[in-house]
Amino acid sequence: MIKAKELVKTFGCKAALDHMSFSIDGGSIFGLVGSNGAGKSTFLRTLAGVYRPDGGELLVDGEPTFENSRIKGRICFIPDYPYFIPQSTPLEMGTFLSRIYPRWDWSMFQKLNRIFPIGAKKKISTMSKGMQRQAALICALSARPDYLLMDEIFDGLDPVMRQLLKRLISDEVSSRKMTVIIASHNLRELEDFCDHIGLFHKGGVLFEKDIDELKLGICKVQAAFKPNIPGEEAFAPLNIVKWETHGSLVSLVARAGREEVLQKVNSFHPVFSEVLPLTLEEIFICEMEAVGYDIDNILA
Amino acid sequence: MFSLDYTNRQPIYEQLYQSITQMAATGVLKKGEPLPSVRLLAQQLGVNPNTVQKAYAMLERDGIIGSLPGKGSFISNDVTALERQKKLIEERLREAVRSAVGCGITREEILEQVTAVFQERGEPE
Repeated sequence: MIKAKELVKTFGCKAALDHMSFSIDGGSIFGLVGSNGAGKSTFLRTLAGVYRPDGGELLVDGEPTFENSRIKGRICFIPDYPYFIPQSTPLEMGTFLSRIYPRWDWSMFQKLNRIFPIGAKKKISTMSKGMQRQAALICALSARPDYLLMDEIFDGLDPVMRQLLKRLISDEVSSRKMTVIIASHNLRELEDFCDHIGLFHKGGVLFEKDIDELKLGICKVQAAFKPNIPGEEAFAPLNIVKWETHGSLVSLVARAGREEVLQKVNSFHPVFSEVLPLTLEEIFICEMEAVGYDIDNILA
Repeated sequence: MFSLDYTNRQPIYEQLYQSITQMAATGVLKKGEPLPSVRLLAQQLGVNPNTVQKAYAMLERDGIIGSLPGKGSFISNDVTALERQKKLIEERLREAVRSAVGCGITREEILEQVTAVFQERGEPE
């Protein structure tokens, strides 16, 4: 269980995390999304004990992480640019980390080295970006953490490796209730894999929700009306987030369940109507537009 | 054993629910036949174990599968599965008829198509 209460982290006069409060349950795969500079990486670094919070608290199983080696021994963090000791090989990294992580598992390390064929005795600095990611993953999973934090992990991994990674994580989550937090802009990958999503914006959390609840609570409708289309106000009390018309075609996004929206739309006897769940990407864009972060504003 | 369509907008747990229901309804999975464990299925499909757990919980709630502690899940009621499947297909059929009507296909033309399908199968009208 991870709990943030009024968490603040500032750099100079800029608050990267601005009174952030939310929690993440154990055994969950949590997707962290948000605009650039929203505080995703800062949050992960604070959680990993790299940064000391400037205000509020961030607790893992009831304890702060900063300078707390007992908790940190159960947390593994793969940053967006993984760190390796200069000139080291995966085997040397493993030897080093095995002295730090109390639950280090050499048999897991060997198994993972067979699965990710990058060469345990090759210098990591000579490897490609994707292979370095794999080296970091081998090390992180061998440490058998209770909390695995990953920043942009899918970056640079090929589709086969992504699927492999998902299977490995899935196995660890179901067998020993590992908690996983993935920060990513790759919403397609998160959509299939996470059970909870947290949307960050300007150092705060816009929402934190079950992904299915999120998708069921909002939907997109396309409908054609003849001879004339009902106005937006006719759809009250539905919460209309987006409204567009092209001739007799209406496309709208409403914050309501599928049945509810369909019933309302059908009461105007459309020529045809179609209700679609939103993809995570569409939800993301919709929610960001609602707080004034949209393409039109940026281009203006 | 089960395949998922990642480009489909339908949530994965619903896809799983439907594919297990379909298999039970058509007899591909027989009554009493065990289902893979949540862990195994999640690992095979590379999806979140909580998603698989959710699909199994819904199937159990609807009486299509049962579970015994330590033994895992199994198909418990293929009749319920068949009824579910029928409802689902009927809904799809109505949807198809609606779009057909929407582009001006008449009732007679629709019935003609239905008759043609039955004739293809060599069944009496």
